[in-house]
Amino acid sequence: MMPVFELLRDDDEARTGNQILSRPGRILLAVGILGLAAAGPIAGSIQPFWVNLLVRMLAFALLALSLDFVFGYAGLLSFGHAAMYGAGGYTAALLVGQVTPNALVVLPASVLVGVVVAALIGWLSVRARGIYFAMLTLAFAQLLYVVVFTDLPATIAGAETVTGGDNGLYGIGSYELAGVGFGDPLAYYFLTLALVALSLAGLIRLANSPFGRVIQGVRENEDRIEFIGYNVQRYKVIAFAISGGFAGLAGGLYVPFQSVANPGLLHWTVSGELVVMVLLGGMGTLWGPMVGAGLVVFLEDRLGGVASWEVILGTLFVLVVIFAPRGIAGALISLRDDPSGAVDSVKEALKNYVREVRD
Amino acid sequence: MSGNTIGGPETDGDAPSGAILSTEGLTKQFGPLTAIDDVSIEIPDGGITAIIGPNGAGKTTLFNTFTGKHAPTEGRIEFDGQRIGGVEPYEIVRRGIVRSFQITNFFSSLTALENVRLAAQARYTGFGPADFLTHHASHEEPIADAERVLERVGLDGVATETASSLAYGQRRHLEVAIALASEPRLLLMDEPTAGMSPEETNETVELIEDIASDTTVVIIEHDMDIVMDISDQIAVLNEGKLLTQGTPSEVQSDERVQEAYLRGGGHE
Repeated sequence: MMPVFELLRDDDEARTGNQILSRPGRILLAVGILGLAAAGPIAGSIQPFWVNLLVRMLAFALLALSLDFVFGYAGLLSFGHAAMYGAGGYTAALLVGQVTPNALVVLPASVLVGVVVAALIGWLSVRARGIYFAMLTLAFAQLLYVVVFTDLPATIAGAETVTGGDNGLYGIGSYELAGVGFGDPLAYYFLTLALVALSLAGLIRLANSPFGRVIQGVRENEDRIEFIGYNVQRYKVIAFAISGGFAGLAGGLYVPFQSVANPGLLHWTVSGELVVMVLLGGMGTLWGPMVGAGLVVFLEDRLGGVASWEVILGTLFVLVVIFAPRGIAGALISLRDDPSGAVDSVKEALKNYVREVRD
Repeated sequence: MSGNTIGGPETDGDAPSGAILSTEGLTKQFGPLTAIDDVSIEIPDGGITAIIGPNGAGKTTLFNTFTGKHAPTEGRIEFDGQRIGGVEPYEIVRRGIVRSFQITNFFSSLTALENVRLAAQARYTGFGPADFLTHHASHEEPIADAERVLERVGLDGVATETASSLAYGQRRHLEVAIALASEPRLLLMDEPTAGMSPEETNETVELIEDIASDTTVVIIEHDMDIVMDISDQIAVLNEGKLLTQGTPSEVQSDERVQEAYLRGGGHE
């Protein structure tokens, strides 16, 4: 965990302002990661199933983090992140099943495939803006979904099966690393937590880098950024490819743990739910969408049997949009800035909402 | 810096000496509309050139062809002896042509310093490992450049304020500061005094004269007092055509200019 702390500690205090995550925020984050590290064994000793849930929450937190890097931070509304997630997942499934369970080989491969798929989709989509960009990414992701669902690679290669078609691939083993197996859910949990923490630290660093500042400028004012000397298209494609790498990693962590890869990973509903997670958590904060994703996965697991999950998620989403338009992260930040104003701001939000609905 | 020829066309030897930017038969059409019609103009190196003309004369379109926003339909543009027609806007900025905008057009949720630093950073950054893995604030040069530019335009006192919270006159100065941070050799200013109070206008005129001491400046300006006062050269556009170009006194006494302004409904 040491490198994580090193990366989280930023001594270049923000003379330039608008820094992602202040110093107290980073300390809180480190505490949160330590808390999660402790939560694994505790949850496992109560009920082994909880560890399983925690791993899924972490995998989706990573996926939401990757989306927030382009959506919240660079202003690119991707509606096709399931493509990179699924591509990373299938890469892991095929490699673990047929080549090697070595995590040092498979996980980088998942990242790389995510980067390549994202670079391709990004390159084809970034000239379109806003909703048109979203629609293009959605279309490309659905295209990949159909490719996997119909097992097009097998048809082309003349093989019997590659992706397993609509059945998918199952019976996928777990990772190994230096002779240590990750078949135990708790061990897998620690592997996942370490990689998610590293990813977060890495993306925070990226967000504060010269590159990160430029893509923030792209979000703020795309027209102007070009007239101060930046190649906007190239910045967007690179940001999208980086994001795709982390989405691929999320898929690579999720699939061997579930020991199943099915076309559902790539379905547009995954991309859609992901956008909801990011908005729920608070876009542009990086940590907020992770909290949002964890919460959604948790609630889906706990409440999925009580009523139709879509109804619950929809209700939750509507409530957050009305009362906390900047998501969970936004609500927490305003609570910190003004703890006594919380009740007033809820009233204010309700009033605003009613007024806008009437108009 | 402008000497780099990445993707650039061959150098033409016949560029007139003394002109930093010149066009020859420049035409820009939008569908059936000819916004710029066969304009051949020379912007002398150094000093202030004003582009004037009635509304719709094609002044802003001319700027847009200089900065790469619009590729010319016909004709050519040469900057510093190199053709720049069809070159991407970001590449033109790197070669030394930078514009400021008529409407305030910056990064409103960022601080004034960060607005300018981001523009300065473009001269230092690329796609190397350090551009992804180091903290932006650990790079001293862009910050130092930005602080220097803010001081020059008189905004050093509000460097850490959010751009959107600045007063109108300050915003317009920030707009100029962002352009200056790119260290232009040719600065194009689109109506730098529009909407300003008399005091703000005076300050801005002083600023433009200060900038012109080391940078070639081209302004689009409607206020004739300012134009006559600060310009070394004036180019008059009308209905997309270059009517005349000369010193303020030459242009003032030109009957065609007076006629164009009367027919065009005068200036605002």
